[in-house]
Amino acid sequence: MSLELADVERAYGDAVALRGVDLTVRDGEFFTLVGPSGCGKTTTLRCIAGLETPDAGAVRFDGTDVSGVPPEDRNVGVVFQHYALFPTMTVRENVAYGLRFDPPAGESVEERVDDLLALVDLTGMGERDPDELSGGQRQRVALARALAPAPDVLLLDEPLSALDARLRDELRLELKRVQRELGVTTVYVTHDQAEALAVSDRLAVMNDGRVAQVGDPESVYENPETRFVAAFLGENNCLDGRAVGGETRGSLVRVGDASFTVAGDYRGAVTCCIRPESLDVNASHNRFEARVAESEFLGDGYRVHFDWNGRSVVARLDDAPTGRVTLGFDPDDAVVLER
Amino acid sequence: MVSTDRTTPSRLAAVRSRAAGVADAIGARGAFLATCCVLLVVFYYPVGTVLVAAFTRGGDPSLAPLWATLTDPFYFGALAGTLADPAGVPGGLVAWVEAGFPAVRTGLFGFTAYLALLGTAGAVAVGLPGAYVLARYEFRGRETIRSLTVVPFVLPAIMVAVGFTTMFGTNGALNDVLGLLGLRVDVAFGLPIVVAALTFYNAPLVTRFVVAAAETVDVRAVETARTLGAPRWRAVLDVVVPQLLPSFLAGVLLVFVFDFMAFPIVLALGGLRLATVEVWIYSLASDLRLGEAASLAVLEAAVTLALTYVYLRAERRGGRDTAAASVPRVPLVGPPSAGRLLALAYAGVALVLYVGPLASMVAESLTRGGSLSAANYAFLLAQQLGSGGARPTVAVSNSLLFAVGAVALAVPMGVSVAVVTGGGGRLRRVTGALLMAPLAVSGVVTGIGLLRGLVFGIDILGYHLSVTGPVAIVAAHAVGGYPFVVRNVAPLLARVEDDLVAAARTLGAGPARAFRDVTLPLVAPGVVAGAAFAFAISVGEFNATIVLARDGASYTMPVALERYLSNPSVGPYLGPAAAMGTVLLVVTAASFVVVERLGGRWGR
Repeated sequence: MSLELADVERAYGDAVALRGVDLTVRDGEFFTLVGPSGCGKTTTLRCIAGLETPDAGAVRFDGTDVSGVPPEDRNVGVVFQHYALFPTMTVRENVAYGLRFDPPAGESVEERVDDLLALVDLTGMGERDPDELSGGQRQRVALARALAPAPDVLLLDEPLSALDARLRDELRLELKRVQRELGVTTVYVTHDQAEALAVSDRLAVMNDGRVAQVGDPESVYENPETRFVAAFLGENNCLDGRAVGGETRGSLVRVGDASFTVAGDYRGAVTCCIRPESLDVNASHNRFEARVAESEFLGDGYRVHFDWNGRSVVARLDDAPTGRVTLGFDPDDAVVLER
Repeated sequence: MVSTDRTTPSRLAAVRSRAAGVADAIGARGAFLATCCVLLVVFYYPVGTVLVAAFTRGGDPSLAPLWATLTDPFYFGALAGTLADPAGVPGGLVAWVEAGFPAVRTGLFGFTAYLALLGTAGAVAVGLPGAYVLARYEFRGRETIRSLTVVPFVLPAIMVAVGFTTMFGTNGALNDVLGLLGLRVDVAFGLPIVVAALTFYNAPLVTRFVVAAAETVDVRAVETARTLGAPRWRAVLDVVVPQLLPSFLAGVLLVFVFDFMAFPIVLALGGLRLATVEVWIYSLASDLRLGEAASLAVLEAAVTLALTYVYLRAERRGGRDTAAASVPRVPLVGPPSAGRLLALAYAGVALVLYVGPLASMVAESLTRGGSLSAANYAFLLAQQLGSGGARPTVAVSNSLLFAVGAVALAVPMGVSVAVVTGGGGRLRRVTGALLMAPLAVSGVVTGIGLLRGLVFGIDILGYHLSVTGPVAIVAAHAVGGYPFVVRNVAPLLARVEDDLVAAARTLGAGPARAFRDVTLPLVAPGVVAGAAFAFAISVGEFNATIVLARDGASYTMPVALERYLSNPSVGPYLGPAAAMGTVLLVVTAASFVVVERLGGRWGR
């Protein structure tokens, strides 16, 4: 099942949640909506589920407009942020709930529920009440329940945000495994950019009710098209300057007193985005001197915060230097955005 | 900050989805509209006719009836003269001073306020120490006693009157005991017993308000004050008292309003000799002087609504959050101390006041001529009273039947109102408040309205419509009881996560099915508790019933009780009254057990 959102708008009174969202989700892919709080990603998900009605625009399932189709008739499975398990039902009854309306073909409800509990590694937990389970177990039940009626689309609304970090990583892998096994078209909502980069086949970065950029994680990370995307996905040093062009290898960009050489032909106001891991004390190009403000030990290295003539710059270094340090970066590592 | 940007849409989203999701469910809107119709017919229309009567003379809009009441010294005493002749005030004042400050005539309103003041003072005198004991001491059965404080609220007033008569009456239990010491008191009828009964009713309210507030006091605030150098008494004065004061004042105001409007207690124990505004309205209405009754009712409503408004403001100021760490309680059982001895003394007083009347009533019902006998109950089963028309068995079965009917009507009314007015928004709040109005309007006023509007009937398009008897009684009881269903269901409904319903919807359940499968099981305890409330309210309801029951065939237990008490000529009255009171007590207690088991909320 493929999904398409065409110019979807949604407002609550004066508060505009979606300002025209265009998206295509391919059949069977793991698609992520990522963005800061309030960017409209959850509203987008709820529009797909039919829990919200767009003010304008269309939501299409395999090319068919589903406007006016209530959620119970869309054959979607939703995993909510806070599990939303029915507290008055056992685990088994929770998982079986959707099968009341859509009995499984070729097997009994019992068998189907057992299969799903096995899929999420909860065999034998069927008779428990939801409040007897840990957070991670509840989330697995919620996943099994959403998958039970064999939905065409699986919608996950920040499913891991209520869990602690270690469990989150574990469940993330498992989620990915289950999704691969079933090949179900999946839309995943998260505010966690690292999570988005880790799990997605493709992702859409959202900001202020719009889609800022769509692509596979590597290309969006490496070639952000806006300053927002550059700063939101991973860490970035975004330095505003003026490009004067004319270099043999590319263009010259003036940032404050310094001049940097970057690849490509640019003129006028630009932003140079340099990843902290691209900054190096041994670099032979684009060198500038900055003062160490603070160092954080991260285990595999240091995140060092520099004060460079009043600008703050972050670098990932193997050692923690002190005092004044000369940093540099390769011209090919800078992403230049025209302003 | 980014996070604040988000709250607006997501909170609105929650409101929207509840409105769209739940309200569509169960065809709640249909039930809601039906509820509005019932309210219109048995509440708003009748009460409206009272208003209209108060503001018209001879069919034309006029303030004359109100003015006539307002300037009648019988009602407003000296104030009436002041209003009628403002110019005469200075002269009157001089004359009053010259005469050596003779007693000022206060009129009916003045007397009612005086009685309410006495009742409130009694409630504070008994309720406040009770709150102290419950908040300060830990002892076995504390929780039970704390929950028992809700019982008087639903005890039928007329039954309490019987209890007080059997306890404090000339031949009552108190005199039996005092007789052994060669003493006797005579408080059977009159001011002291009325005040005692009002105290019985309302002291628990004061206790509940104060204990609830005391449980929100954070011990760490007291400890902080101590570490900052305040001695214990000073910490209590500076930290605890200011936190209790708003709730205490709210409780006192509510008690005053209840006392001001008290009807069956005053009527049964005081009679017309101690007539309050409410009793007088009833008396006027009985004489079919409905116009005068209406203007009096409007003036009374003005007083009580003003006080209710002040109460609501005071209540809002009281904190509602439970403390993270509340002040620890001291064991009640332990080495004797002044506090413990006082607590025990208080327990004795409370026992006499609360257990005494009820136990005396039960004892009275089981005795005849000084020996144990079931004759009073046999009377209920067999004896048919003559001219009074109060048939005991009919009254018992009517009470149960009407209560079942009232519950059947009140539950859907209450649930649909809770569903539709749930969520946020000013409009919903206003609607919610309007729909809860039956709680705030005096029963006698509603009763008169019912009499004018429904019993006497109205002419619409040439048809004469008149509703009376059982149907009207059941509807009136449902209107009186359904706010309690709303109050029990609404908090549970608010706690049902929107995502639960959304989850059911995405799994294939339609709106109605999602409501049935997910929402209803979660609010079921509230529904049952509300139903038990409605049942108890219906069984004990007196004011509207006595107006609507035009003959013995639709008398209920409380009405029959009042007939026995007010008309001793129909036979041996106290025994059968006590027997019926005992039946009432059992039925009400059963409802209480249901509510308590299900963790329902009474009163507040």
